[in-house]
Amino acid sequence: MAGLELLSDEGYRVDGRRAGELRKVRARMGVFAQADGSAYLEQGNTKALAVVYGPHEMRGSRSKALHDRALVNCQYSMATFSTGERKRRPHGDRKSSEMTLHLKQTFEAAILTQLYPRSQIDIYVQILQADGGNYCACVNAATLATIDAGIPMRDYVCACSAGFIEDTPLADLNYVEEAAGGPQVALALLPKSDQIALLEMNSRLHEDHLEQVMEAASKACKDMYAVLDQVVRDHVHEVTTLLGE
Amino acid sequence: MAAGFKTVEPLEYYRRFLKENCRPDGRELGEFRTTTVNIGSITTADGSALVKLGNTTVICGIKAEFAEPPAQSTNKGYIVPNVDLPPLCSSRFRPGPPGEEAQAASQFIADVIENSEIIMKEDLCIANGKLSWVLYCDFICLDYDGNILDACTFALLAALKNVQLPTVTINEETGLAEVDLKQTNPLNIRKHPVATSFAVFDDTILIVDPTAEEEDLATGTVTIVMDEEGRLCSVHKPGGSGLTAAKLQDCITRAVTRHKEVKKLINKVIKSIKPK
Repeated sequence: MAGLELLSDEGYRVDGRRAGELRKVRARMGVFAQADGSAYLEQGNTKALAVVYGPHEMRGSRSKALHDRALVNCQYSMATFSTGERKRRPHGDRKSSEMTLHLKQTFEAAILTQLYPRSQIDIYVQILQADGGNYCACVNAATLATIDAGIPMRDYVCACSAGFIEDTPLADLNYVEEAAGGPQVALALLPKSDQIALLEMNSRLHEDHLEQVMEAASKACKDMYAVLDQVVRDHVHEVTTLLGE
Repeated sequence: MAAGFKTVEPLEYYRRFLKENCRPDGRELGEFRTTTVNIGSITTADGSALVKLGNTTVICGIKAEFAEPPAQSTNKGYIVPNVDLPPLCSSRFRPGPPGEEAQAASQFIADVIENSEIIMKEDLCIANGKLSWVLYCDFICLDYDGNILDACTFALLAALKNVQLPTVTINEETGLAEVDLKQTNPLNIRKHPVATSFAVFDDTILIVDPTAEEEDLATGTVTIVMDEEGRLCSVHKPGGSGLTAAKLQDCITRAVTRHKEVKKLINKVIKSIKPK
């Protein structure tokens, strides 16, 4: 777009990163006392909070209970002050409902729901500051919160976005890069088995370039996995040291 | 053993502690939980503050927008508070429209703003009759462990102190507003209201800063809002067991001390982020 170079000639992006570089990720687990599992994650300037309650008995309509697995109930919500313009409807609008559904589908693929028939697992995600990659930050935060709650999962779920500018795939797009309108791919991956939990692409991309972009996204997810794994190990180490094990 | 007794007879369990003039978490009857405040963490908001009162966590984000002043008072702006108690803060809240408690808290904050004159609405006017600021104050409770009203009032004060509004000038010829984002001014905070909440047990014992468990077992609650000159801004006593005037006077005395503690904390935090 006019005036803003998303990728300079030397290969630097608007925030000084290289094409395949992720934003700085900071995460903490076990931040809230009331919830069974909670996590706070910052991916660059995007701040996401995830809280998990469960598994517990079905609330609301008993008829929705599944006889052989747990029901995963998600809610994605953005704080009204999280975006540049004040967001009128924090949840219930179309985009939030779509994100909620995507989160639910992603986690149903990863959580071992057969272990808890007729129960419910609630995953609530709140975005405090949005700077691109909202869905991905939510998935990563929710993975940490689910691990903190002690709910068994098949594998970590790591998510990252990727774009394509001037024949170069970019990993982990921020708000400026997303708003520029180029093709974007959001990928949620189970890293050890290389299985894709969710793949979403918008805008137009030539099929010859698809493989490059998918690879960039995959690599970014695996990098994210390394970071999240380290966070979990550090947290467990801290907790066991405090318990005096 | 103690855990079993607590589940079966929670009120008796509590009475045993109250007899010794202390509470299960080790606090005295007049002691507040550890209060921490973090200002300016949300850069997309014009002002923000995160307050933790023990485990209770409330984040306040303020966004400023333009609006036409109201017809009855053309030289005033608006302040619109909204408290949200989402299901993520506690399992007692269900997803859906704001429940009773959230709406009552929003109304309480609106009353505090109105009664304490923390900001004069005239200060929010840019051009009489044409343009004024509207400040949307959104509170999100992230962790619910009792005493939401105190946490929200404190977050409101801290966030308002953090707000930086850009200078707006009305162009004489075109009549349009010109916003200068580089020249920002802080708000003029006239008063510093601080809320202190008490829970009443068995119609006689008053404890300060109740946790969620204590609120459930209490027979009544009182919230007192004071400002700096020892002036009472509001007393909020929604039903519950009756209180004698003497007991109310004790509450007010405790509220005065609390005000000093909070004022010191806020000044310390503001000073620590001053270098800009």
